[in-house]
Amino acid sequence: MSDVVILGTGMHPFGRFEKSYEELGAEAAAAALRDAGVEWSQIQAAYLSRMYLPATSGARILRRLGSTDISIVDIEAACASGGAALRQGVLAIRSGEVDLALVLGCEKMPRGFMDPSMIYSQWQIELGMSLNPAYWSMRARRHMHDYGTTELQIAKVAHKNHKNSVHNPYSMYQKEFSLDEILNSPLVCDPIRRLEICAPDDGAAAVVVASAKRARQLGANAKAINIAACCHTIARYSADFRCPADSMSATAANPGPTEVTAKQAYDRAGLGPRDIDCFEVQDTDAFCEIEICESLGLCVPGEGGRLIDEGRTEIGGATPVNMSGGLISKGEPVGASHLGQLVEIVSQLRGQAGPRQVADAKVGLAHVLGAGGNCAVTILQR
Amino acid sequence: MITANKSAAGERVPIREGLLTGPLSRLDRVRLAGCSCTTCGETSLGSKNICPNCGGDAVREVSLSNHGVLWSFTVVRHRPPGNYKGPDPFVPFGLGLVELSDGLRVLSPIRCDIDKLKIGLELQFKPYVRKDDDGREVVAFSFEPASQ
Ligand SMILES: [Zn+2]
Repeated sequence: MSDVVILGTGMHPFGRFEKSYEELGAEAAAAALRDAGVEWSQIQAAYLSRMYLPATSGARILRRLGSTDISIVDIEAACASGGAALRQGVLAIRSGEVDLALVLGCEKMPRGFMDPSMIYSQWQIELGMSLNPAYWSMRARRHMHDYGTTELQIAKVAHKNHKNSVHNPYSMYQKEFSLDEILNSPLVCDPIRRLEICAPDDGAAAVVVASAKRARQLGANAKAINIAACCHTIARYSADFRCPADSMSATAANPGPTEVTAKQAYDRAGLGPRDIDCFEVQDTDAFCEIEICESLGLCVPGEGGRLIDEGRTEIGGATPVNMSGGLISKGEPVGASHLGQLVEIVSQLRGQAGPRQVADAKVGLAHVLGAGGNCAVTILQR
Repeated sequence: MITANKSAAGERVPIREGLLTGPLSRLDRVRLAGCSCTTCGETSLGSKNICPNCGGDAVREVSLSNHGVLWSFTVVRHRPPGNYKGPDPFVPFGLGLVELSDGLRVLSPIRCDIDKLKIGLELQFKPYVRKDDDGREVVAFSFEPASQ
């Protein structure tokens, strides 16, 4: 039995909106409080996961729910910001200092191209190294060379995720594309195509977390979902070739960030990949999902393409992945993406996912991975 | 204000301090600079005082090999955002990881017909001079197919 639980979740759809980030975030936070059945005035600490918002955004968003004097902290760890923020909430509760906290993810991404100097050096920008998909594409190309992974397998992952999103009201696209449409969409960086990558967008998602004891006192046992593990790490030297790296070692053999973080999470939860009923993982591009399935232990390295060929990652398969439609369909509001995954997992574990429901899901895992090799893995259990 | 290291028009400068080694006036002798660690044995790109792998300071600057093999690649199909200094109008170009015998793979533009890009392609280091808006000559780099 875990010591920290999720009492409630709330989400603002991901997409492009005219609203301010304060409005997006406040809506998700209020929805999570309603779902948890607690008042904002009862919350003892709050954490905002965000990457592109200005300073003290957490306080500015949550002021809309009413005046407070609790600690509100903004947290950033690239695509893994949500995991890093939830981890702080879990640690605060585990310390005994607080027993009811709010973790909110919110982002409103800049329109058009993002300023590459956020992550790249000037000389990299001048030489044309500042397109994030170029890095994903080189990983894909090498995997194809080493293991025979095909462009068709990559397209099938995109097809699955777009298809799943049709039933997700929180998704940006909610549109199914045929394999032909995907394979004929323009190349962004060979071999990755436009319908196989995620777009930056706006959105917010939140969870209310509590100590197990406080949940019992609130009479919320029945709907509480256990946080079996919440881990965040960054990649060791050359363990992950991802933007904005300018080179990588050909000799260092450090395990990758997903392997390291997943092992921590599996150990803490006392579970292995075979015990997990459903997964939400970082599909920044469709190839990325194939590689991450391998790193999470769903198959041995090199066999990720077979998972999609055999239908094992479909909602009706043995190890469903990205039931929500993934980031390919939802878009990636960086600070909100991991919390959004948790909203999906909680809905799966409560049996409330409608047409996306994985039969009798008891354990779910959410994974994010991004710039600098920032990785987070959260395992939830009912 | 005039600073001691402000470079004048006509002067040659590396695209980034510490990335290149050798006399910039002699492009045939310019190489990528590397940092070799005697503690852990890793060689990394660019000169530095601390090894990025083990954190040790028993490092020395080395010249990296000017020959390599294409380890992976992509074709950049859209103009990269920001201050990209490539051809205008934009032309799709190859970008690849070039494996050097020094034990590292360096990200570099690959100067060749994009249809010729192939894992295993033998490449050679190709520094070149680019004229900046302020008149300075900037030494940048790429790799190109090795001449037989
Ligand atoms: Zn070292």
